[in-house]
Amino acid sequence: MSTVPSPGLGDFAAVQAAVEAGQQVPPLERTIALVDMVAYAGATWDWYRSHYDPAFVEAAALPAPIVDGQVFGALLVEQLQDWLGPRSFVHELAFTFKNLVFAGETVRCEGTVTEVDEDRLTAEMQVVVVGEDGTASRVAVAGGRAVVLLGTADGPGAA
Amino acid sequence: MSSNSLLTEEVLALRGRTVSYTAPEPAGAAAGRYFGLAIGDDNPLYADPDYARAHGLAGVTWPLTLVCETNQYAGLPADADGYAGHTWGLDLPGTRQVRGGNAYVFHRRIRPDDVIVATWCIDDVVGKVTGSGHEMVIITSTARYATDAGEPLAQNAETLIFVGLEQKA
Repeated sequence: MSTVPSPGLGDFAAVQAAVEAGQQVPPLERTIALVDMVAYAGATWDWYRSHYDPAFVEAAALPAPIVDGQVFGALLVEQLQDWLGPRSFVHELAFTFKNLVFAGETVRCEGTVTEVDEDRLTAEMQVVVVGEDGTASRVAVAGGRAVVLLGTADGPGAA
Repeated sequence: MSSNSLLTEEVLALRGRTVSYTAPEPAGAAAGRYFGLAIGDDNPLYADPDYARAHGLAGVTWPLTLVCETNQYAGLPADADGYAGHTWGLDLPGTRQVRGGNAYVFHRRIRPDDVIVATWCIDDVVGKVTGSGHEMVIITSTARYATDAGEPLAQNAETLIFVGLEQKA
């Protein structure tokens, strides 16, 4: 897999020059434990019991508490920001939910650069659930598209 | 009147409905730092003001998607299931609710002194039938986030789908 190392302060231009269409975004893999979900519920003021209460979801015939879908938006931003460094800004991010993800499962955020311009790149993104053998067992989020502004730490509204 | 039995006058009347919530205090740095911890994102832009300033920001900022968590501005009581956010009061018996997706646009990073106003509008309500013959209602809405001075911060378009449990066709 062709990847660009995460840039440190001052080497952004080299990274920008190295990014090209077809390139894989370095994947971000995360196991989402129940305690993480409790922390996320607190951080977002979203205390809906399906996100942390095993008894509540058992009554709905679900195997475990459901990971809040917005978690995947946060992880995709983290993946892109970590790769492109502090002088980049995720301006647009869109995706479609495909399957629920449950407490204790591991997800992997994946992406492919589709277009690179002077000041931005576009990438297709998805999130898969990773099985015990490390392969994708199902798709959690598909049809993702991100537009990332390059060379700026903040968005166009900051001017 | 549509032949889709889920698409009642009450449901159609949701089109164009808007609510607005203003945060009772500035965003603060701790909220962003906590969100970063909760999601496992250790980017110093959210916790280290010197690092953030070295990269052109005025100081620490929030992880981008946190601004779109509207519950924090609404100040609504939790219901019996723990949900403490805005609902449109929509109850469609005999359906299951599915989230379709999100489309975020971020205009700029959140600063700790921003006072955030969330304005949420239902854009459209559409009835369809699935390939397996189940009626459904698709509700699209957009939440726009701005400062209390009207400076745009972000927006989040969401799709909510109610699928009838009974096969109609």
